[in-house]
Amino acid sequence: MSGLAHFLEDEGLSTIVVALVREHVVKMSPPRALWVPFEMGRPFATPDDVELQQRVLKAALALLDEPTSEPLLQNFAEESSDLQGDLNWGFPGKLDADSVIAEAQSVLPIWHKAQTRINRTSFGISGFSPEAAIEFIHRYLSPDPMPNPKGMAPVSRARFTIDDIKVFYFEAALANGGRPSSFQLNEWFWKQTLAGKMILDFQDAARLSNDKNLRLIAGSLVPPECTYEYL
Amino acid sequence: MAQAAGVRVTDMVRLNDIPEPERSYMAELECIPYKHKPFTKAVAPNQRHVAIVSSAGLIIRGQRPMLSNDAGYRSIAADVANSDILCSHVSVNFDRTGFQQDINVMLPRDRLNELEADGSIAKAADTHYAFMGATHPDELEDKAREVGRSMLALGVNTVVLAPV
Repeated sequence: MSGLAHFLEDEGLSTIVVALVREHVVKMSPPRALWVPFEMGRPFATPDDVELQQRVLKAALALLDEPTSEPLLQNFAEESSDLQGDLNWGFPGKLDADSVIAEAQSVLPIWHKAQTRINRTSFGISGFSPEAAIEFIHRYLSPDPMPNPKGMAPVSRARFTIDDIKVFYFEAALANGGRPSSFQLNEWFWKQTLAGKMILDFQDAARLSNDKNLRLIAGSLVPPECTYEYL
Repeated sequence: MAQAAGVRVTDMVRLNDIPEPERSYMAELECIPYKHKPFTKAVAPNQRHVAIVSSAGLIIRGQRPMLSNDAGYRSIAADVANSDILCSHVSVNFDRTGFQQDINVMLPRDRLNELEADGSIAKAADTHYAFMGATHPDELEDKAREVGRSMLALGVNTVVLAPV
């Protein structure tokens, strides 16, 4: 993004980078940058905290008012409470199925409820339904794999399908609201769901696969701190 | 930590908060120290026409997902519903549960619209843009300049860049 700032300024646009990794900005010196002390993936802080998001955006735009001809890097002073988590949160359903397919079926109505509450879903990158996504990964390395629809290489489809499965479960986990941290959600998903176990097993199998493309993505399916080595 | 000449900094450093091995990966990412210092003079707040550029590989539902090191971009028009914006940057190095709850965590277009409504800026752009994070900046230069020229043609004069 700092590189893009240089190119866009060169074209005649004024830019501000809202930076999560301060060290990168220091090295690359974009014209104006606001460093924010938030979790990676959340440059505008806390979900649904309209006022905090507004303050971040206003602080970024305010850098345009600074009279400077040198790269400007300022710190956003406020922290977010995202990492504190929500002690009252729990998955809004009972997960006691004996197979990942059955588990996904039990999650489905909870996910639908979550969509109604959130009024959107970010599920869909794979092109599958939730049930088909589970089945695709479940059978991927079996002797009877599910056909890969046209339009995407099988390994890419597998990577996006695994992300969709995570979206499916994480969205369902918020069907009753609450504000669990990403740490809480990951702890739950990777340790307590059969879908998490399926992906962990898939990752281990992918590492040993004869398919070099599958081996290449094996390290990018599970947060490193959630892999079997750490759990 | 080496400090680039001319950059004003304070002493807050947070890379150490990131768990390994992401911390080392992030610390060792190649960062090009661009020598030139292009500065476009900012317009007054009441003249600002602001677009957002995300590095989250955002796409519109039904579009082909962006792959690693994709040097292209996607345009996201104002009339695309939040529910039709998906994140195709599926790295495990950053959180997406925030985005799943509220798109404004990554693409604060609702917040930008509110700034237009209260007169803090002249206009929120009708189109925002997304690139693929972790792509080498040199690979993005042509398309970044293309996006810049498109923005200028639409009257945009200010860009908020939002990495993930």
